[in-house]
Formats: sequence, structure tokens, C-alpha cells
Amino acid sequence: MTTKTAGILALFDYLDDVEAALETIKGRPEFKDHILYSHTSYHELVHHAEERYGPSQVRWFTLTGALTGATTGFWLPILCDLDFPLIVGGKTPAFSSLPPNVIFIFELFVLFGALATILGMLWLGRLGNPHARILDNRLMDDKFGIFVPGARVDGEEASLLKSQGAFEIKKTS
Amino acid sequence: MSDTVQWDKTVSDVNEGILKGVEGRPHPTYYIALVFALTLLAIGITGWGLIISFGIGLSGKSSPVYWGTFITDFVFWVGIGHAGTLISAILFLFRAKWRNSINRSAEAMTVFAVITAGLFPLIHMGRVWNGFWTLPLPNTNNMWVNFRSPLLWDVFAISTYLTVSLLFWYMGLVPDIASLRDRVKGFKRFVYGILSLGWTGNIRQWHHYETGYGFLAALSTPLVLSVHSIVSWDFAMALQPGWHTTIFPPYFVAGAILSGCAMVYNLVVPVRKMFRLEGFIKEEHLEACLKLTLLTSTIVAYAYAIEFFVAWYSGNYYEWAIFKGRATGPYSFYFWTMTFCNCVFPLLLWSRKIRYNIPVAMVICFLINIGMWFERYNIVISSLAEDFLPGSWGHYEPSIIDMCMTFGSFGWFFTWFLIFTKFFPFVSMSELKLIMPKPLRRKPTH
Repeated sequence: MTTKTAGILALFDYLDDVEAALETIKGRPEFKDHILYSHTSYHELVHHAEERYGPSQVRWFTLTGALTGATTGFWLPILCDLDFPLIVGGKTPAFSSLPPNVIFIFELFVLFGALATILGMLWLGRLGNPHARILDNRLMDDKFGIFVPGARVDGEEASLLKSQGAFEIKKTS
Repeated sequence: MSDTVQWDKTVSDVNEGILKGVEGRPHPTYYIALVFALTLLAIGITGWGLIISFGIGLSGKSSPVYWGTFITDFVFWVGIGHAGTLISAILFLFRAKWRNSINRSAEAMTVFAVITAGLFPLIHMGRVWNGFWTLPLPNTNNMWVNFRSPLLWDVFAISTYLTVSLLFWYMGLVPDIASLRDRVKGFKRFVYGILSLGWTGNIRQWHHYETGYGFLAALSTPLVLSVHSIVSWDFAMALQPGWHTTIFPPYFVAGAILSGCAMVYNLVVPVRKMFRLEGFIKEEHLEACLKLTLLTSTIVAYAYAIEFFVAWYSGNYYEWAIFKGRATGPYSFYFWTMTFCNCVFPLLLWSRKIRYNIPVAMVICFLINIGMWFERYNIVISSLAEDFLPGSWGHYEPSIIDMCMTFGSFGWFFTWFLIFTKFFPFVSMSELKLIMPKPLRRKPTH
């Protein structure tokens, strides 16, 4: 996340501790803007994200890309054939055969769909940011983290997270 | 599968154990392999240089065989490129957990194999600098490419496959590169920082990543099956006896997966040793790969038998003559090598003991790769050399330059693969953690 807001980061060793902590802080206004960090995509945590943010909108990127690709794949050979100046095999110019075009429709459907999916992942996940804030190197290793913006190390939020199993609470600025 | 694996490592060991190879020095055999690959590459570059300097005639192609080893190599390498996306995409959708330990290497193999395959049509053109003529680009003559030609279908199929495989591979790498970024310093940190795209592992990123990864897998699945089907149409759309058959698409796809799985095994086993990854790529995972190899081998054997049966049963004289010729004619050595390597030797894999005997399994997989190369050689050459008119028959054997290019392609492929293994995590760390026991304080009760 790119936020530069100061706050606290609670580090956890165990998945079930983080789950319990997330249940505890759910709906509490002081944790409204918390950010969860994980070293991998455990289903339990991704489910939490789905509850919080709703279904991922990446699907609309995929659909838009795929339909654009299919349309391009349909028209590209036809327009090229229409533009072809020579008579080939006794057939009039602008002769276009539809069955082989299915291949181009399919290939560009997949290609544009995949490219749009990547764009969606990058855009919605706020990726491609060279100044991304790395709160703690251990988060990419084997620890879980909950960042609470605006909270203090000696505050109530810190005590609550500690009581849920956080082994370290650190200040981030 | 992975539910039954006995892990002696925990999630906390993953990054340390896998990135040790990237940060430190690999086993000396790594450098021997790299020198060997570079030597082969140099042979290939020399061959290509001679072709560009003196012309395509050096490759030994002449009437009636205008497609020789270059197209054989092309089909072989596209086939090798199949297992990567199969393991990544199809097995991902089927939730086959064992794929998580080898999917990264299989994806890398796919990318480098397809890049290698893509070189051969360019080499075969002779004037490689005109390669862009295969693309539908506006030009002064207003001459568009022929959209009804299987060769153009190939251009679209291969370039789409390469792009999608590359994206799939790279997106899978991003979280792991971020782990690497957080461990290194200086220039390396700068480079890995750019490549990691600012990944921090927050749950919003994982949320969109998981959804996007699923869509990429769903898009890639039909792509895997279509690419080699389209490659097979290079042959099946022609009227040449031995080629013009509807069995080709599924037969080619099964063959591609067979050679791809065998190549994955041949690559993963040595690299697992070089980078000391035995604790993460378990023997059970390798065994699962061999089971897939065995399955596809039986499909290929069935396809070989059906091809023969249909050639006989159809009553088509030319078709039957080609098939008889393949088994008993001047190319029978290639035919029987292919049959034994692809259908007979893999039968040993029915034995559990052999599936767990890594050296023997390595030899079987190596033989399968030889057999699959000969299969493509057999298909390409025997049909072209003896078609409908005996007056136009000829004979073809690869020239020295042909062999240089074939060995060179292995050098090119292995060089890229070895460079990849040194600079990027060979095992997908974030996905491997998902099949290992979860880090729980309270033991699961079930």
C-alpha cells in the first residue's frame, strides 16, 4: 500500500491468531482503515478481503478485454480481405471465408482477455508503484501483519491486537 | 497428493531454503551445465551464421522435402512448451496440489521452449530479417497476409501462447520477487524492486491477484489445447498422405504433454540437486509428474495404433503405403525408435518402484524426449519424401548444419533456463506455502 500514514503494525506468527484478530476488530470504528498483510494467499484471508472489499472487479477487465479481442479477431481478417487488391484463385477481391476466422477470434479473445486481466490486477492492486511502502521485511517471509493507521504503540488498539496473539507491535511512520 | 506428503520443512523454512540458491553459490555442476549449454549455443549460432551467409541450401532441404529438421525442431519445442501451461493452468483449475512445487519451473520451461520454437520458422525463411512479413501490417503493396493459411494461424497461435505464458509466469513470480527484494541490498534490490512492481503482500493485492490468476488459468486452459491443435493443422490441412487426418489435433496435444512432462522431469531433477531443493520438491511430486507422463504415453500409443488402423481400414492406397513405408521403409529406424521410446519404455512407469527410482525415471524421460523428436521427424519427412507420385519421390537426411541447429536450440533453451534458475526462485514460494501445513497455534481438530 502506498499510504504514508503513521500507525502501528502488529505482527503475527499464526494464521488462526490473525483470523481471530480480524474477527475481533471487525466493525470497530478505530480499525476501519486497517490493512492486512500476508506472505501468501491463504483462503481464509482472501475470504476476509472479499467480505471487506466485495468481489474483485478484475473480472470486468477480463470480460472487456476478451470481448474487444473477439471483435478485433472477427473484423481484422475481413477488413484485410476487403482491402486486398488482387484476384486470387479466380475469386473476386474482398472474398472472406469465415471458418478460418474463428481461429483469430479465439486467439485474440484469449490474448486481449489476458492482457486486460493483468492490467486489472495492476490497477486494482495498486501495483507498478516503485515507491511502495514496505512496512516489515518479515511480511514477505512467514509473518502476518495488521497495520492500523493513526494508532499508537501504547494505545488501546495495540493492546487489543496483542491480546489476540500479536508477538510484536511496532510503530510505523 | 500433497495431503499425503510428509513435510520435514515448515512454512518458515520456505524463503530461506529456496532463496539460498539465488543468493549464494549453486553446486559446481551448475557451472558445468552452463558451459555445456553455452557450447551447444555456440554451435547453433555458427550454423545459423553459415545459413545466413551462404543460403538455406546448406540445410540439406531439396525437392521433395522442403520441410526438414527445422520444422521438426519447431514442433518439438512447441510440444515441450505445453507441459508448463498444462501444469500451471489446467492443474490449477483442478486443484492438483502437487503442481505447486514444480509449476514455476514448468512455466519457465514453457516460455523458453516457445521462444526456441519461434526461432525455427524464422531460420527456415532463410532471410530472417523479413520475418515481419508474416504479420498483418500495412505495406506499400497492399498485400495482406493469407488468413486462410494454417501457417498464419500458427503465427497468431504461437505469439498468443508466448505472450499469455509469459504473463502467467511473470505474475506468479511477482510475490516471490518481492520476497527476494526484501532480502538483498544495493543494485540487486533496485532491480528486484522494479521487477516486483511494488508488491507488498497486502490483502487487497492478494484479493485481485487470486481472481486474476484464476482468470488467466481459465483463459490459458483452452489455449494449451488449441496451440498444438493449430500446429497439427500445418500438416492436417494439407492433402499429403500421412498428414491429412482428423486425429492429428488430439494426437499432437497428447504427444506435446508427454514430451513436456518428460522434459519437466529431466529439468527439475538436476536443478533440485544443484540448488538443494529436495526438501521442497518432494519425491511424491516428481512421482505425480511421472504418472501424468505415463497417462499421456498410453494416449500417444493408442493414437499411433489408430493411425495405422485407419490407414488400413480406409482402403486409401496412398495412406496405407505411407504407413507401411514408415514401419519398413528407409525411415523405419526413426519409426521404431519413436515407438519404443514413446510407447514401450514408459510402460516401466507402471511400477511404483521405478517411479521412485529417480535415475531410472530420468533415463525413461530422456528416451521419451528423443522419441518425441523422432516422432515429429517421422511425420514431417516420411510423408514429404514419398507422396502420390513415385516420379517425385526423394530421400532426405539431415545435414551437419541441420544437426548444428538442433543441438544449438538445446543450447539456447538450456542457457536461458539455467540463467533463470540462478536469478529467480525455482519454486513458487507463495504457492508452495499453500500446500504445506498451515502455521496454526491451535492444532486442527478433525
